[in-house]
Amino acid sequence: MIKAPALALAALVLAATADAAETPVGVPVCPSGEERPDAASLVKRIDQLLSGRSSVGVMTMSIKTPSWTRSLKLKVWARGRDYALIRVLEGGPRETGMMTLKRERQLWTWLPQAGRVMKLPSGMMGDSWMGSDFTNDDLVKGNSLINDFQSTLKGVEKSADRDAWHLVLEPTPSAIVVWGRIEMLIDRKSCLPLSESFFDEEGKLAREMKFSDFRQIGWRQFPARMTVAPAEQGRETSIAYSEIAFDVEIPEDTFSLQRLRQGR
Amino acid sequence: MLLKLAWRNIWRNQRRTVISVLALALGVAAIVSLFSVREIAYAEMIRGITKGLVGNVQVHGRGYQDSPELTTVVPDPLAVEARLRGALPGAQTERRVIGAGLASSGEVSTAVVVMGIEAAAAGSQTAFTLQEGQSLDAAPSHEALIGTALANELGLSPRGELVLVGQAADGSLANDRFTVAGIVDTGSSEANATTVFLQLVDAQSFFNLGQGVHQVIVRLPTDEEDLSRPVSLLRGALDLSALEVLPWSEMLPELKTAMDDKRKNQGLISVIVFLIVALGILNTMTMSTFERTREFGVLASLGTRRGRILAMVVLEALLQGLIGFCAGLALAWVLLHGIGTANLSGLTGGGDVLGAPMPGALKLVIHPGSVVSGGLTTILTMLAGGLLPALRASRMKPVEATRYV
Repeated sequence: MIKAPALALAALVLAATADAAETPVGVPVCPSGEERPDAASLVKRIDQLLSGRSSVGVMTMSIKTPSWTRSLKLKVWARGRDYALIRVLEGGPRETGMMTLKRERQLWTWLPQAGRVMKLPSGMMGDSWMGSDFTNDDLVKGNSLINDFQSTLKGVEKSADRDAWHLVLEPTPSAIVVWGRIEMLIDRKSCLPLSESFFDEEGKLAREMKFSDFRQIGWRQFPARMTVAPAEQGRETSIAYSEIAFDVEIPEDTFSLQRLRQGR
Repeated sequence: MLLKLAWRNIWRNQRRTVISVLALALGVAAIVSLFSVREIAYAEMIRGITKGLVGNVQVHGRGYQDSPELTTVVPDPLAVEARLRGALPGAQTERRVIGAGLASSGEVSTAVVVMGIEAAAAGSQTAFTLQEGQSLDAAPSHEALIGTALANELGLSPRGELVLVGQAADGSLANDRFTVAGIVDTGSSEANATTVFLQLVDAQSFFNLGQGVHQVIVRLPTDEEDLSRPVSLLRGALDLSALEVLPWSEMLPELKTAMDDKRKNQGLISVIVFLIVALGILNTMTMSTFERTREFGVLASLGTRRGRILAMVVLEALLQGLIGFCAGLALAWVLLHGIGTANLSGLTGGGDVLGAPMPGALKLVIHPGSVVSGGLTTILTMLAGGLLPALRASRMKPVEATRYV
């Protein structure tokens, strides 16, 4: 008689460990049913979803502006928040082979036609990366969503037929950030972000990011398509992953400056 | 006869005349020197603009002035240049490409303006002065000229290697390596810190522009400030649905407004100064006609016509004006030549004002316009001060006037 509850308990523990094996420790569980979940842990979950311990992916970046439209095929290696290497696999004749290396808060670029490496000056962080609507800062920024912003839940909304939580993130007084406010819509079923709107310090909408094409990769669901559109009319950049693998081994010298200088 | 009389009359009370003439002379001297210094400085600034990077007139793709986009070009600049020269014989033209980029050398990189120029064109020779190294070859050679401050920042000297990155007109990422041929002073501290000059063809291929250029610079043989006639001639020669034709004053509107405002202010000051002088003249002339009431009475009773009396007194005023004006001019000449050259470099730090390179030193002379303006104001002042007493003198009743004590 004593055994039965113990067995039941063991089963529970097993189930819990099985679940933990899928969703790593430290990642908050998705509170799908809740009306008013904890905003901070929602943001933390998203933050960890979008970045693994390491990842390797291939994506197509399409840039649309009033004067031209183009697309680049890129391969991305990333380790944690601090190291990333992006290589142009297919692009214009002067760009193929171009690489951007991120080491902590610094960006370096291998310029294939010049045959040289250029360090990006810190004053250029707010500028466009590769002519896209992503800024260099987007590449460099670490986990600032958690550390630099205070998030509050505003309520529940409908967005493109999905039930979503509406989150408002405001910078903490000490944070050095370019945005005055970020608003997020998060799918209540999957806990994935649907859109992020960035407002400048005057409260004007500066750009909007949309996430779609959610795919299951291991324990996580991942938006394989992201679109960013600045307030400026007629511009849009989207990236679509064709391959992505998380938590893979990446050779040590991938992120080395010496290797970048050789253009390999 | 009238002139002789007037001349004798003004020296009947020498002290009074000397004082009014002196007041007038000081006023004239002040206005002539202020006017001259201002106009000489303006002329020098305008010369800096028109001989420098801006030119007298520029032709752009339509809308470029308001929002300078890399893709807004003059697509067929050679045809445009031919038409410009046809419309204004004697004008010189040059093509120019302007784009944004990042320049880097070693670990240092900084945002720059990349300017593609026709290095062989006469205008380019005056747009900057070579400090070190040599100028660009006429043929495209992957060479660059950089501003002095930029050379400092990047730690570059002639024969050094400069890496440039920028976005081309098709959106692709331009990147290339250039050899620094020379280091130049553009006359503007901002341009010195940010400008990289390339051979036009090198810049066109860097930015993927084909034949396109952003500016066609027109330099006129003369340096007049008012460009409305040449501009309308040039506008008539071009297709204005695709192009815009702008004089320098429309490209640097703040500077033009600042110049005009200062002229207006100084004009107002002149008016006030001369109003005071005119009141003084009015006072002394009234005094002198009062003193001569009996004289005018006698003249009138002898049958002198009113017009002649009026003319005589007005002539007295104008004669004093002439003496005062000449004395004022002489004073201004002494003042300006005494100073000789005004060194402004200490004042401006060799910088530029609202986009115009500030002249370093000014050779001070009397500006012809200031003589005209000073002369006109003197005549007006003397008429304003002298007409009333003259009218009074001419309208005296002979019987009453001769009995006046």
